[in-house]
Amino acid sequence: MESENSQPSRSQIIDINVDVPEGASGLNTSKICAGSTCGLSDSATRSKDAKERNASMQKLLIAVVLCIIFMAVEVVGGIKANSLAIITDAAHLLSDVAAFAISLFSLWVSGWEATPRQSYGYYRIEILGAMASILIIWALTGVLVKEAIGRLIHPTGEVQGVLMFAVAAFGLVVNIVMAILLGHDHGHGHGHGHGHGHDHGHGHGHADHDHDHHEDDDHSDDDHAHGHTHDIRITTHPHHSEDDKHKDESRHPLLNKPKKKKRNINVHSAYIHVLGDSIQSVGVMIGGAIIWYKPELKVIDLICTLIFSVLVLVTTFKMMRDVLEILMESTPREIDTTRLEKGLCELDGVVAIHELHIWAITIGKVLLACHVTIAPDADADLVLDKVIGYIREEYNISHVTIQIERQQIQHA
Amino acid sequence: MEDEAALRQSLLPEAAPKLPPPPPPSRSSSLGPSRPPWGGDYGLGSDDRRFAFSRQHSLRQPDLRSPIPAERTRSSRPFLGRSDSSISMPPVEIDGLGQGFGDRGVTEKLTAIGMVSSLVKAVRFGNRPMKRLALMISLNVAYSTAELLIGIFTGRVGLVSDAFHLTFGCGLLTFSLFAMAASRRKPDKVYTYGYKRLEVLSAFTNALFLLFMSFSLAVEALHAFIQDESEHKHYLIVSAVTNLLVNLLGVWFFRSYARVNIVYRKAEDMNYHSVCLHVLSDSIRSAGLILASWFLTLGVENAEVLCLGLVSVTVFMVVLPLFKASGSILLQMAPASVPPSALNKCCRQISALEDVSEVSQARFWELVPGYAIGSLSIQVKKGADDYSVLHYVHGLCHDLGIQDLTVQTEFS
Repeated sequence: MESENSQPSRSQIIDINVDVPEGASGLNTSKICAGSTCGLSDSATRSKDAKERNASMQKLLIAVVLCIIFMAVEVVGGIKANSLAIITDAAHLLSDVAAFAISLFSLWVSGWEATPRQSYGYYRIEILGAMASILIIWALTGVLVKEAIGRLIHPTGEVQGVLMFAVAAFGLVVNIVMAILLGHDHGHGHGHGHGHGHDHGHGHGHADHDHDHHEDDDHSDDDHAHGHTHDIRITTHPHHSEDDKHKDESRHPLLNKPKKKKRNINVHSAYIHVLGDSIQSVGVMIGGAIIWYKPELKVIDLICTLIFSVLVLVTTFKMMRDVLEILMESTPREIDTTRLEKGLCELDGVVAIHELHIWAITIGKVLLACHVTIAPDADADLVLDKVIGYIREEYNISHVTIQIERQQIQHA
Repeated sequence: MEDEAALRQSLLPEAAPKLPPPPPPSRSSSLGPSRPPWGGDYGLGSDDRRFAFSRQHSLRQPDLRSPIPAERTRSSRPFLGRSDSSISMPPVEIDGLGQGFGDRGVTEKLTAIGMVSSLVKAVRFGNRPMKRLALMISLNVAYSTAELLIGIFTGRVGLVSDAFHLTFGCGLLTFSLFAMAASRRKPDKVYTYGYKRLEVLSAFTNALFLLFMSFSLAVEALHAFIQDESEHKHYLIVSAVTNLLVNLLGVWFFRSYARVNIVYRKAEDMNYHSVCLHVLSDSIRSAGLILASWFLTLGVENAEVLCLGLVSVTVFMVVLPLFKASGSILLQMAPASVPPSALNKCCRQISALEDVSEVSQARFWELVPGYAIGSLSIQVKKGADDYSVLHYVHGLCHDLGIQDLTVQTEFS
């Protein structure tokens, strides 16, 4: 997400390193950052952040408004037609609105400036908001499964296939519109081809949908550098081999390749919500169609609910894993610690590296802290600059804290 | 490997500031036996429980690298917490769980068999609270399965939905147990700070689900308000009473954490507190249901609405402090265990050193309650001895309770 906007600051750093002669002490300006948090929010990143944030907020706002309108329509229609299915769908939409509201709130808050109490800024709130959204999805799925089993025991009566089908079709259309809205980044050229990816009708099973989706992903991923840093991808388990291939791609240094924007995690979690809803709508449509043909197979309704609930859970799995890894302060997947250590040890003056910690505040903002032991006669300033420069160029980590320790000569 | 040993040592709460061995002792011996150069006289012993801030941990621990041995009598007694319950703090854990998983262990090895086996191992080698929690979980699982089967066979929907609610709770408690077990692993290449964050995560998830539960109870109350008292399920009383008994047993197990506002001193505190609040809220809910049934038989109008509403508000108020505390750790807010005035004073003291011209970018956060991590950047006059400055800064921060510090010195 933020990988593009380090480009101006990165080229700026490179210039300084070349111009200043060895041993000069005018290197301070590159280390002491303008503003309170360098790399995380200097003026260039902040304006880019603000622009992207505004774009995402607009998208989410439109999605929320659409949802509310649709929900009002459904509630009125459901009361008039006296159908439970439509009112249940409206309740589901209410949860969608809640999730979008959480995403909007997180987006808005993440723009606040850092305070002494919250010294890294408010970016983490996005991650917590995404986690809350996913937990809402899981809770809802649980409620649906409970309802389904309850209906198995206690059949509630006549289920109208036609009505189910109509409502589900309408829901699907609205969900597709929102998915296009949320998944489409302008200037991205990512071309998911949502139009045909979601076009199910009756015959296509879910496997086809995923495969289409992923094929498009593949083609456009080859265009950008860092295919795997787009790490919040919706794939199901059969595509595991593709994951490995993308991991290999990610080992190349980022230097001379154009980078594409990563998706904002809030917009992405809203997108997953909508995707889950459309999967459910598809299930209901299939069930409704079958019941339309043969009204005695009521149990299909429940089976469809169960199957598609499981599918929805599967789509959230990858995102939850990413969220958990960030919250556990683990090393981000795109950074190879062993290679970094080896590279650092190969710089002159550096004897050893220890206490290396790399962690992410949110997707795309990575920090590093380590202790570097240098030879007793080396120039601390020079080694510091070299280390910081190496990390910035090779791994694009802009916020780095290095503690230089001199190796003490042991007297026998 | 030197860095593994350093990493391992860094996670022990007793670790001294991590610096290379000191230069020849002519410097430190002139300072007298127990007064560090920054004047660590805080006027209170380590047993003083009047203060919530966990300076007391660091005051107990001697500087292992100083040539002067310090008395260690105080550190051998377990540090009893806030109440005088007879449940002692868990003893030093027997680590039967071995090393960290290496690369991406926790998330990649999330197979069912792997998790079940680690849980079983944990229960056998675990400490007392873990065993009690495992007992409670098994009781709950047995009870909810029985309820589900009875509900299915007798066709009572209310029992089935209650069973589902219980199953959700069991799932949460199992996650807490898993967090207790997994958090004892040593840090590895990917999870450089170790796995202790899992406990905070599980506390946060528990709190979040309890908030959801309070919302859903409020919705139920609204539902009961709109829909008049048509069929109240009186048969649920039996299940409510059993539920209440099982949960009260759980509250008894964790009774030293049965408070709303607790000072968290260790990682496990949050987890145990969240488990206790979970069983407490469940028992409040069951008690509310029983009361509602009783009032209905007494003929009180809108009894269900009142009781459910009351329960919902109570659970919300009870859970909110835990939610805020665990959320603030996950958001990397300033450490709750270090008073903000102390941090300011620390920065002022550092900049008052004659060698230091500026202190900038001082950031502190907590990994788990009681373990604070920080990074700061200081500008030192050229030619000054960096070792003594580093030693001073590390010692000062260590006394405040900041165990892990990375100091970037820049020579101007």
